[in-house]
Amino acid sequence: MLKRTLLLIVFLILSISLFSENDSLIFLENQTPFEGFAITGKDIPNDGGGGIEIEWSFPDSLDNFFLTVLRKDEAGNNSIVATDLLVSSKQVRDVSSEEDPSRVKDGTKYYYTGILSKKMVDEDFLNMLISKENGYSKNGIYIFNNDTFYVTAETDAIISKASWFNLSRIPVVISLILISFVFLYYLNLAKSGKELYIRKINGLDAVEEAVGRSTEMGKPIMYILGIGYVTDIPTIAGLTILSRVSKKVAEYETKILVPSYDPVVMTTAQEVVKEAFTEAGRPDLYNKNDIMYITQDQFGYAAGVDGMMMREKPGAVFLQGLFFAESLILAETGHSIGAIQISGTTETAQLPFFVAACDYTLIGEEMMAASVYLQKEPMMLGSIAAEDLLKVFIMVLIIVGFVLSIFAYGFNIGIFKNLFDLLARALQV
Amino acid sequence: MAIATNFWIWIAALLTLAIYSFLYKDNPFYKFAEYLLVGISIGYGISVYWHNTIITKVYNPLVYDKNFLVLIPLLLGLLMFSRFFKNVSYLSRIPIAFVVGAGTGLSVPSSFEFLFKQVYATMPLKLDFGSLIIVVGVISTLVYFFFSLEHKGFVGRVSRVGITFIMVAFGAAFGYTIMARVSLFIGRIQFLLSDWLGIIK
Amino acid sequence: MLKGKGIPIFITFLVGMIMIISFFIPHKPFGDIEKISLNWYSIIAGFTMLLGVDSLIGMHFRKLKRKDENWFFSLVLILGFTATVVVGIIETVRFGTAFDDKSYFTYIYNYFIVPLQSTMFSLLAFFIASAAYRAFRARNFDATLLLITAIIVMLGRVPLGEQISPYLPKFTEWIMQVPQMAAKRGIGLGISLGALGVSIRIILGIERSYLS
Repeated sequence: MLKRTLLLIVFLILSISLFSENDSLIFLENQTPFEGFAITGKDIPNDGGGGIEIEWSFPDSLDNFFLTVLRKDEAGNNSIVATDLLVSSKQVRDVSSEEDPSRVKDGTKYYYTGILSKKMVDEDFLNMLISKENGYSKNGIYIFNNDTFYVTAETDAIISKASWFNLSRIPVVISLILISFVFLYYLNLAKSGKELYIRKINGLDAVEEAVGRSTEMGKPIMYILGIGYVTDIPTIAGLTILSRVSKKVAEYETKILVPSYDPVVMTTAQEVVKEAFTEAGRPDLYNKNDIMYITQDQFGYAAGVDGMMMREKPGAVFLQGLFFAESLILAETGHSIGAIQISGTTETAQLPFFVAACDYTLIGEEMMAASVYLQKEPMMLGSIAAEDLLKVFIMVLIIVGFVLSIFAYGFNIGIFKNLFDLLARALQV
Repeated sequence: MAIATNFWIWIAALLTLAIYSFLYKDNPFYKFAEYLLVGISIGYGISVYWHNTIITKVYNPLVYDKNFLVLIPLLLGLLMFSRFFKNVSYLSRIPIAFVVGAGTGLSVPSSFEFLFKQVYATMPLKLDFGSLIIVVGVISTLVYFFFSLEHKGFVGRVSRVGITFIMVAFGAAFGYTIMARVSLFIGRIQFLLSDWLGIIK
Repeated sequence: MLKGKGIPIFITFLVGMIMIISFFIPHKPFGDIEKISLNWYSIIAGFTMLLGVDSLIGMHFRKLKRKDENWFFSLVLILGFTATVVVGIIETVRFGTAFDDKSYFTYIYNYFIVPLQSTMFSLLAFFIASAAYRAFRARNFDATLLLITAIIVMLGRVPLGEQISPYLPKFTEWIMQVPQMAAKRGIGLGISLGALGVSIRIILGIERSYLS
């Protein structure tokens, strides 16, 4: 009797400890909350590899439920992909990232499982599922501490791979080829000696006058390239204009100051000015120290250039390149010293300030075309004509889109809807 | 609140006033602040470069990851130093040619992407007065940028409409920015009156 | 051979073409090429920075030596530069990184650079006012249009505008969303085409003024 009682007590103690250590869990195998309860996965198309997309489509009534996605790799290691996603988000991506570059390895088999729940997923429950011993091989309904979790079956093996060609960019390839032909056509036309016209660009005719007047007054010219890098096209365009302007400067035998923000831009500007002075037959006038570095600090640069303007009092100031908030600080200071100012940038947010503070402003594409305008070489003019033909293409495309939408949505005609959708899809890259 | 006793706050406040003195005219105080900012910021820039470039992008990949690809930009960077020597200074063209090539090359597809996105965004997804205005505005602005046609007659009139759109856009951007700029000034005044002088809380 | 422009132009062409092609190939190594090339740019720029410092400090040394008009300020610049670099080195030794919260290097940033930068930035409040004033005096159609739109949008974005007329904020919104958007898109399309033109001229070697 005593033995039995002791044994019973031992059992009781054991069972209590069992309860306190393990939370209550009820498992109903193969039960699902609705027909077709599953998640699917696929390799993310058109990427460089290391990415799998997991998707699900549950009834709308479950939109406010949470979904947690787990993963098992072919070696049997479990991991969490994402916890407590809103069911309405419909998809999640399992990708390698900067922090974890080998999270998804190309060529490895991965199996995914989803956990659907009304409440956020319980951490202990999750740990139990991903623990090596238990795994989560079984799908069904788990009732854990009175909360219900629906666990999907594992997906088939999903393998991530890198693509050799981004299919979604086919429209770009086609346009690139067509546009190359347009450019080649015009470049050939230019080569064959056909004269190409370029319209007047306000401000560029004033370059000669600006340089001339500065020379008369015995003042230098200042050329500000803004705060871009050599990898920025506006900065490159600014450098090509610098080449034409410094040629004029050499012809007038005056001085050009180029305060720079980026050291590579400074070095390139030195090359540009040197080449222009040599072409103008005055390499002796070139002084490397006139193209100087200021600092790679936006407002430090603005302060330095402002100070230089106040002291050197240039007769003409060119602001050509990439400008941000410092644009108006520079342009207003230039205005206050009475310099002729010719500005140009592609930053639409800064253009209004240039328009207000400068004598002439080259807007966007005008600035890109300026170097061609200043040195009307046939080949260069050919490229401008090609740009114009592309503009016509774009206008036609926009008008076609608009007309299609009138028939599609104004008159509700099905075929036009399809055509409109086709056009819209081709434009999405 | 009382006037600040913190040495650093005083420095910041005096430098702030020195910059503002430029609004009156160029003067020694502004010059001091200007030269100091240029000097310090380039010193700071060097340190940032040392940390972010030399250590993070060259030393670590080379020593720890054995990533020898880094030797290419390292060599290109060193070629820039050929400018210190007159008889080999032409070698610095190689890194320049490289970066210009990279910049222009990258811009070609990204320009295309941008073109596609802009044209797509102009597709009217609903028919109303606004989308008609947008189509007219986009097309007339594009006509303004036509270079190979003289802006006379019909083209001239359309490009005139384009310029009108451009001016409205510039005015809008101008008006949109004014208040943001004023608030920057208010921020500095707040610093002077509260952090430094302790007049307001 | 190296002295001519031939090799640099070929390098530009080759690098440019690789960049274009890699846009369509997500597979390694092409997929990462944009990131890699920007990384490389910053490495090259990092080295070139020494040329920049040589240019700037050299100029001010010469001014100092010649006892130019502003020689004292050149001295300030050189001292400011040297002090920052020296403090940076000392603090790197002390804390392992100069950017530690407690390092004097961070103090220099917070109490010299930040106030100077933000004060320069705030000068814009004055400059924007003077620019607006000038636009106000201009008597042509374009300037007037610019100014009127600016006033409407400015008022439409402050509480006062709502009090003048409840339609003002709505009208402002319409200006931003419709005519402003249209012109911005037109300009943007032009810029992309222009950028294409610049890039093609350079890649094909038609424009080579950046090489001497």
